[in-house]
Parts: sequence; structure tokens; C-alpha cells
Amino acid sequence: MPGVRLRNIVKRYGAAQVVHGIDLDVAEKEFVVLVGPSGCGKSTTLRMIAGLEEISDGLLEIDDRQVNRVAPKDRDVAMVFQNYALYPHLNVAENIAFGLRIRKEPKEKIAAAVEEVAGILGLTEYLERKPADLSGGQRQRVAMGRAIVRDPKVFLFDEPLSNLDAKLRTQMRAEIKRLHRRLGVTSVYVTHDQVEAMTLADRIVVMSDGRIEQIGTPMDLFLNPANTFVASFIGSPPMNQISAIIRSGDSGPVAEFGGQSLPLAPLKDLVGADGRHVILGLRPEFVDVTHKGEDAQVSVDIDLVETLGSEALVHASLNGDPFVIKTETGTDVTLLDKINGFNIDPAKIKVFDGETGVVLPGQELK
Amino acid sequence: MAELDRTAEAEPATYTINQPTRMERIIDHLKADWQIYLLLAPTVIWMLLFLYKPMYGLQIAFKDYSVFRGIAASPWVGFEHFETLFTNDQFIRAIRNTVTISALGLFFGFPVPILLALMFNEVLSQTYKKVTQTIVYLPHFISSVIIAGIVITAFSPSAGIVNSLLNWLGLDSIYFLTRPEWFRPIFIGTGIWQEAGFSSIVYLAAISGVSPTLYESAVVDGASRWQMMWKITLPSILPTIIIMLIIRIGNILEVSFEMIILLYQPATYETADVVNTFIYRQGLQGGQYDLAAAAGLFNAVVAFILVMSANSISKRFSRTSLW
Ligand SMILES: Nc1ncnc2c1ncn2[C@@H]1O[C@H](COP(=O)(O)OP(=O)(O)OP(=O)(O)O)[C@@H](O)[C@H]1O
Ligand SMILES: [Mg+2]
Repeated sequence: MPGVRLRNIVKRYGAAQVVHGIDLDVAEKEFVVLVGPSGCGKSTTLRMIAGLEEISDGLLEIDDRQVNRVAPKDRDVAMVFQNYALYPHLNVAENIAFGLRIRKEPKEKIAAAVEEVAGILGLTEYLERKPADLSGGQRQRVAMGRAIVRDPKVFLFDEPLSNLDAKLRTQMRAEIKRLHRRLGVTSVYVTHDQVEAMTLADRIVVMSDGRIEQIGTPMDLFLNPANTFVASFIGSPPMNQISAIIRSGDSGPVAEFGGQSLPLAPLKDLVGADGRHVILGLRPEFVDVTHKGEDAQVSVDIDLVETLGSEALVHASLNGDPFVIKTETGTDVTLLDKINGFNIDPAKIKVFDGETGVVLPGQELK
Repeated sequence: MAELDRTAEAEPATYTINQPTRMERIIDHLKADWQIYLLLAPTVIWMLLFLYKPMYGLQIAFKDYSVFRGIAASPWVGFEHFETLFTNDQFIRAIRNTVTISALGLFFGFPVPILLALMFNEVLSQTYKKVTQTIVYLPHFISSVIIAGIVITAFSPSAGIVNSLLNWLGLDSIYFLTRPEWFRPIFIGTGIWQEAGFSSIVYLAAISGVSPTLYESAVVDGASRWQMMWKITLPSILPTIIIMLIIRIGNILEVSFEMIILLYQPATYETADVVNTFIYRQGLQGGQYDLAAAAGLFNAVVAFILVMSANSISKRFSRTSLW
């Protein structure tokens, strides 16, 4: 299979193992995003693909060729770094041309390639400038230009947008997406920003502590998190988690917590599982708020309401734990102050095992 | 209008009364930060005593000075000593030697620390790096007298290692330290041996300031170590190189004078005698204090002009300067 294939990739620094056997197939032209908290081994994995870190164990293939021991320059990958890695003494054109110059490509070819890339990225007017005289977004574009101009088999991005302010980040995110559509180059992209992951990725790889927690399309991860870690990482705000005990009710299993209860979908694992400890996952978007005077399945204490325009975030507490609800603002804003609880469709409650945090089978949403 | 009137009515006097005077502010400042000024005091006192007070004696460059009459009582003679100096072949020779030795030292000596730093930067083994660095830094910490002793011994015609080697190769011994044509190579070589390693620290510091991702990015782009040295490291430390070069040019008349005194002898004056050694011989050994003072003043003025122009050139071209 063309693309990138990782088989049981391990990284050790001396005795400390930081990546514990990663298996991942990146299809040709696919855009895969590695996401996870700081220190989980995303950069290390990416740098092993680039050849900047030695692979301690496992197999790495690019385009069906084993490249474990191949020098970075012969892997035909291009990398975009977080701090852009632009050469301060070279101007934009020379920075973009650097990779081609190093490879001693003919001058005319370099000039044509630089011009084309500058056109794609809207850098044509800045070609003579030094990096110090560019804005953050322009520098980022030059860094991308340096990667694009090489026309590599694989693009590697290590948090390329994290030095930009929020607005520019959104804009560049869209630009990267557009660029990927246009060029169709296999890409592996590292970020710790789940919004970036959700918007850019064909598939997301959620990592934690040097291991893959789940691989899937953005919607798949959103709807069907494999465990509580993924549930708490994907989505903004992330899924609410409530620790609960199973009881059998008249019409199926019921979850009890702090004197309140919620009916659950009749999952196989929950039948006759009285007293089992589970964790309920409730997406902030999936709950229907109730107002004073209305009946609520679960009542909560409201701490704070943040109105974001068409939507509002309701910060509440449930048994002393924070619970966040995302709701439409609607036309009557005063209603927001009258929220007293919520109802939820049992099919939209995720049930995770209380000890392992793994989702119980049979709950896939489409 | 009402607004304006009110400001005009406001009494400016109340304003100035509350304002502390300049003297009060200085006193407040001293009270608050007296510890810092205490730390500064020894240096200031040292400079006043040993650098500024002797300047009073500079006037003997324009006087017919005699130790018995004292500085104040010696009669003024104007530029007589300078005229004497510039008609003195030995002084002219000393100026020529100073400039030649400095220029050659700059030409051969300046690139060495840069090369050393670039080479250290390429060494992968940490142990090997530390050992070699220590070895090249070492001569800097050895007194010039000992360095000169080592050089004299090494080049001695009878037991010196250099001549032993020449003999072993079947060549005749050379009396290096008595031969004018050998003085400059030996002197400049000694200077490089003594200081190049230590001077490389500046460049090593500059190199360590280069972002490692520049190299990583270049590695992914396919650059070899050699290409990275030429296209990344060297351009990155170029500003440092330029500043060091300007400082060196500014100090061009400051030939390390004790090393010359230690290495030269009358037979090599022809190529070895520099302005400072000339002053030393005329003044301290020959007792012509007024003439020596004139020569010293000349040296200082030229050095001052060089430092000033080097600094302003640096300011203009590299946006960096000493002050
Ligand atoms: N040279 C090293 N020696 C020992 N441990 C290292 C070394 N480099 C990285 N690590 C460890 O490897 C782990 C993974 O680091 P990595 O840089 O891949 O994290 P990351 O997921 O990219 O985090 P971030 O989002 O903060 O960039 C970290 O726990 C880090 O401490
Ligand atoms: Mg990282």
C-alpha cells in the first residue's frame, strides 16, 4: 500500500520507553492527524517518520519501502516545524528554494518552482523580504512553501499553527485544508488542539502516554469514543462524565448517581448487572435543558451561563462535579437563567466500564 | 473655553514645589541603591588612581622633562618631541612593525578561532570534545612568561624540538630567534597557540544560539553536514564574526607587548620592535621619559581614533556596537 505504514513502532530513550508500539496505516493522499495531550509522544512519532529520531523497534514503510535505516533526505518527506525553521539570513525566495538548491536542481527549474509555490501561497510580493520582516502568518506560509516546493511523497507537520493567534490559526487551518485538496499529498499532522484535528483530518489518531487510544474519522471519534480518555479529549467542550451504579428498572437498566437516576439503553452488558460501576458519557450538545416548572430527569445547580451568540454554555454542577451543557440561546435569553436540569435520549448516553474506562459494546451511533 | 480657563488658573507653583530637585532625586536614588554603588566603588577608585591620575603626567610629552625639576617646573617645548620622533628611523620602523605584525596577526590569527569553533561543533563524541577543548583553551591560562619560555626552548638551536626535527630530516639547525625573518611567524604562531582556543568560545556561544530546528529542517531537505556548516552555521554567526573583526581592527596597535619583549632581541629589532617596546626602551631603559610619553600619546590617539571609527562602522553595518 502506498502511503505510510507504522508497525509496532517503539521509541526508547535509554531505559525510558516513550512510544510503546504504534500501528498506523496512512493511505495515499490521506490527511491523518495525531492528537493528544502534551508529552504523549506525537512529535516523537512524527520525527521517527521524518528520520530525525532513530526508530528503536518496529517497522516503518513509506510507499511500500522499508525506511527504518534510510536517511531523512532519501525518504522523500518534507516537514513543517512549529517555529517555522526559516533561515534568517535568506530571503523568502531563497528560503523556499533551499531544499532544491541543496539537491542541486537546475536554476531555471528552481526559479519556476519557487514562483509557482509563491503564487499558490500568495507570497509573490514578499519574495525579496527576510523572515524577520514578515508577519507570523506569512512566515508560516513560507514554511509551507518550503515543504510544497519539494513535491514530496509525504508532508509532516508538527504543530505548525500553534504560534499563531486564534484568528489566524482558523484562517491558516482552512488554507491547509484547501492546499491538501489541491495537492493531494499524504500528510501526517501533529497537534494538541482537538478543534484543529476535527476540522483538518480525514482520520484522527488519539494518543496518550505513547499509545494509540483510538483511530477514526472525526465524527466517529465524536459519536463513538472508544474510552473515557477519547471522550474527554474530543469535542469542545468535551463529554461530561458521571460515575454511576447500575440498577435494573421496570423497563430496562437504570444508572443511579447521587440520588438521581437515568434510564439507559438495554445493552447486553447491562442486563442483570446490578451494582456494576459504570461511567456515563453525556455530550454537552446531546442534553435537552429543562426550565423551572418543567420536569427534569436530572436536576443540576447552575454556576454560570456563558452566552456565545447563537449558543450558550451552561456551567453547572452535578453531585459537586462540573457538568457542562451546550444549548441554543433561542429568542428568550431570560430562559437561560431558569434552567434547572435536563432530559436525554437514552440512546445518546455512552456507557463506559467504571474500572477500565472502555466503552461497553453495542452503542455505535451513525 | 471654560476648560481652558481652569487650566490657566491652576497654580503652576504648587506643581513645582512638590517636584523633587535634581539633587534630592540623586540622594534618594543613592539611599535606595547604595549597595550597588558600593560594589562599583573599587573599580571607580582603581580607574581614578591608575588610569586617570597618571594622565596628569601626559603633559611631559610637551615638556623638556627632568626628574629633578618635576613635572610642573619643567619648561614647555611644544611639539619638539613629536618632531624628534618622526625624524627617528627607529620610531618609524616601530610604527611599520606594529602595523605589519598586527595585520599579519589579524590575517592569519583571526580565522583560526572560527575554524576551531566550527570544528568543535562537528565533534559528536562529548568526551572527545571536552578533552580537545580543554587542550586548546589551556595555553590561555598559562602566563606569557612561561609560554615564551616554552617557545624559546622549542626553537633553541641546540636542544629545541624544532631543530631536532630539522636535523632528523637531514636539515641544518636554524637560529630561529636571532633571525629577523623568523620573528614574525614565531610571534604570530605563538599568539594563535595561546589565544585561538579561548577566543573560539565566543563563536561557540554564537553557534549554540542557532536554533536546532534549522538543522533538522535542513536534514529533512537533504543537506549534508558540510552544506549545513556553510549555509546555516556560518551565515548565522556572521554578525558575531563582523563584530569581532571590527574590535580587532580597532585594537590593531595593541600588539601583545610583553610577549614581544620576552621573545625579541637586538638581532631581531628590525622586524620585532613595535611602538610599545620602543617606548619601553626609550622611556624606562633610556630615561627619556618625555620622548616616550610623546610616543605613547601618539599610540593612544591613533588607537582611540581606530576604536571610535570601528565602533561607528559597526553601528552602521551590523546595528551592534560597543556603546
Ligand atoms: N531526548 C529525550 N530523552 C528522554 N525523553 C525524551 C526525549 N525527548 C522526548 N522525551 C520524552 O518523550 C515523551 C514524548 O515527547 P514528545 O515530544 O513526542 O511529546 P509531544 O506529544 O510532541 O508533546 P507536545 O504536545 O508537548 O509537543 C515526553 O514524555 C518526553 O519527556
Ligand atoms: Mg510536540
